[in-house]
Amino acid sequence: MKILQTKNLVKKFGNKIAVDNISLTIDQGEMIALLGPNGAGKSTTINMLIGMIQPTSGQIIFGEETTDIRAYRSKIGVVFQSSVLDSNLTVADNIMLRVKMYFKHINVQSLINKFELSSIWKQKYGSLSGGQKRRVDIARALISDPKLLFLDEPSTGLDIQTRTKIWEILDGLRKETGLTIIFTTHYLEESQNADFIYIIDQGKLIADDTVLELQKKYTKNILKVVYKTGKTQKMELDNKNEAIQILTDKKSAISDFEYRPGTMDDVFMNLTGRKIR
Amino acid sequence: MSGLIYRNLKIYFSDKSGIFFSLMGAMISFVLYLIFLSQNMISNWSNVPDTKLLLDPWLIGGTMTITAITTTLSSLSLMVQDRERHVLADISLTDIGFLGIQFSYLITAMIVGIIMQLVMYFIMGIYFMIVDKSSMDLQIFPQILGIVILSSFIWTIFNLLLLSFAKKVDTLGKIATIVGTASGFFAGVYMPIGVLPATVQKIMKYTPALYDTAMYRDVLMQSQLRQSFKNLPNSVENKFKEVMGINVKWNHQILTIQQDILTIVVFAIVIAVLIILISKISRRVIISKV
Ligand SMILES: Nc1ncnc2c1ncn2[C@@H]1O[C@H](COP(=O)(O)OP(=O)(O)OP(=O)(O)O)[C@@H](O)[C@H]1O
Ligand SMILES: [Mg+2]
Repeated sequence: MKILQTKNLVKKFGNKIAVDNISLTIDQGEMIALLGPNGAGKSTTINMLIGMIQPTSGQIIFGEETTDIRAYRSKIGVVFQSSVLDSNLTVADNIMLRVKMYFKHINVQSLINKFELSSIWKQKYGSLSGGQKRRVDIARALISDPKLLFLDEPSTGLDIQTRTKIWEILDGLRKETGLTIIFTTHYLEESQNADFIYIIDQGKLIADDTVLELQKKYTKNILKVVYKTGKTQKMELDNKNEAIQILTDKKSAISDFEYRPGTMDDVFMNLTGRKIR
Repeated sequence: MSGLIYRNLKIYFSDKSGIFFSLMGAMISFVLYLIFLSQNMISNWSNVPDTKLLLDPWLIGGTMTITAITTTLSSLSLMVQDRERHVLADISLTDIGFLGIQFSYLITAMIVGIIMQLVMYFIMGIYFMIVDKSSMDLQIFPQILGIVILSSFIWTIFNLLLLSFAKKVDTLGKIATIVGTASGFFAGVYMPIGVLPATVQKIMKYTPALYDTAMYRDVLMQSQLRQSFKNLPNSVENKFKEVMGINVKWNHQILTIQQDILTIVVFAIVIAVLIILISKISRRVIISKV
């Protein structure tokens, strides 16, 4: 079931085109990555999707037909790139006062458990560590039990454990509740969490597919061989049979080897001819 | 709406240095008075008995106006900060409508203005009670409360107009400094209006500050005025009232407290119309889409 669609979305700031003709189709329950380097137009795209800025042209369609963000806003949760929580207030205040801003009854206990907030509940938000802050940010975005969660660079600046942890929680939520998650990132490895990836560069959509398909289309498998002489050789291969063939042929001369499928780094490199950062 | 109002209030009252700086204007007037203004004025009016007891409520009146001006501004500034930090965009995802959000900030500013004025009132009142043995008349408290609410209201919307021109947090600090300094003059506290040149006096009559102060002084000084001037000719009392800015004078007419209130209401209407006009013609406004 389609939950969000954009048609030829364009955003200009003055003469500058930040988002150039982007069309997306997102199904319910999917985990979607918008991948691109700094200034690609990821945040601008998200901001249009959540109704914060108006597109210069193009259409955004929620559910099956609503184009009015106002009617849809309570079904949206957003974690902004720079936090919007109040650092002078406690975690409890940040969460509970937010709860009061909705008319419906909300039980936050399960969120508190899931995001392990009880130990930091009385602490000021401003005094939390980066990872703790992000946990609160995400929990708060989920208060209204949204159908669609937007995360603008959810894990920038976090260590690998915290990042893994956050992705675990998000993945669990998705499986449990059918939440649709749209996130932006310039961590290539992070986009591998997604079912579907949109790669954006300079405002333009340059590729959109599953991780597997992208790897298949834009990368080759890489075989690195270290010879007994100390010489190393790097080869790009189409499939594993080729690798087995080479390794068998040169068996006696080889001291070690490494074989890996292409990564998202390679995808980006091959698409744009440069590294993402 | 209550969630947002609570949040705004908590933010204001959790920022101790913010509170301190929003009371700066009031504290300056208080300190200036203690250091030399009061001595100066007492010697100028030596023919009036109990001048000190007259001047203490005079100062309280003016300082209350300054407090109303600067604290409502400080609270309202949160809205500009929230816009810049995308907090407004975030709040607009909740069930509070667009108007609800705007009103929450206005109501917060009004509540802050009311609380801080009352706090200043009691601090100053008790201080003078201890130091000068002046009495704090609780019978006038309902009237004081009425003026507190009215002045909180007028300065909230006045500052909303002012902030219509501030889009960046940057500008806020500058506006706060200018307002903090200017309010003491416009309220007629840093020096009595009567000693200022005629043109300056005229300009002062175009802001609500003077009328706000006049209302306060009218109520606060009433009994002591009667006391001090009972054996003096009427002309001396009128002269005192005019020079010290206890009543505002339009041409030859001395305004009553009812006329002060009316003037402030008219100011409120004019300012509201201006705010609506500005929001129609310019996007650089505080009330615009988030
Ligand atoms: N309000 C604005 N006015 C002018 N230009 C803007 C504005 N907002 C964004 N831009 C420009 O649009 C382009 C895309 O910006 P955007 O913030 O969407 O990038 P991003 O992909 O989110 O980058 P990052 O990874 O650094 O967050 C940038 O070149 C930026 O300078
Ligand atoms: Mg961004």
